[in-house]
Amino acid sequence: MADTIEQTRVRERAAADAPWVTIVLNDPVNLMSYVAYVFRSYFGHPPAEAERLMLQVHLTGRAVVATGPREEMERHVEAMHDFGLWATLEKADA
Amino acid sequence: MKPFERAGDGGVSAGIERDEALLLQNLASQLTALLREGDGMDPAIVRLLPDAYPEDPAASAEFRRFTAGGLVERKIANADTLMVTLSDSIETGVLRLDPQQAGAWLRSLTDIRLTLASRLGIESDDQAPSSDAILQDLYDWLGFLQNSLVEAVDVSNG
Repeated sequence: MADTIEQTRVRERAAADAPWVTIVLNDPVNLMSYVAYVFRSYFGHPPAEAERLMLQVHLTGRAVVATGPREEMERHVEAMHDFGLWATLEKADA
Repeated sequence: MKPFERAGDGGVSAGIERDEALLLQNLASQLTALLREGDGMDPAIVRLLPDAYPEDPAASAEFRRFTAGGLVERKIANADTLMVTLSDSIETGVLRLDPQQAGAWLRSLTDIRLTLASRLGIESDDQAPSSDAILQDLYDWLGFLQNSLVEAVDVSNG
């Protein structure tokens, strides 16, 4: 069944508003000190929070480091790739 | 090479031998060549520009289309900063970095280590050292260097 234009727009708006998350994945190369430094210098986290997120990446394999609109999460992922961290994004409920 | 130390002007510095400077310049120029000429199937390139959407190849390709050019440009500029500051260090025996140069160094050392790790086949945290002892030593030395730079930069900021 074909959507009306209005139905399509409503669905697109809902999809655009649904939160996305930036995920940093563990890798065997990046130093723990460097990952914590990136979380402090880029996200502006206090040292304790940066350390907690870094350890979560190291011990569990991944951590959500930001939540928000898709475009903003894409900017964060690009910034993480600039630092050489392994980062991805996905829908918050995925 | 000595560990990096905080310098008076807000930057960092480290004593460096000529051979070490030349070796690091060589690595930076290899990284630049890889970024300029490497094909998208090379595992090192895949790690330097990873998929943003692991479950969605089309979205990953789209993301790469919009970001890869700028990322490659910035990674090459960071490698250039390595080359230039190392050239300056060769006469004096001291490598001096202002805060911005230190940021470029941290990123470029990461890119070089990611590339070496890909060549060494390093894929997990608890892997045995590579049988390529020279490359493994080089990789470990770069890790020492980067850790010392992170610590010196942190002291500068704090």
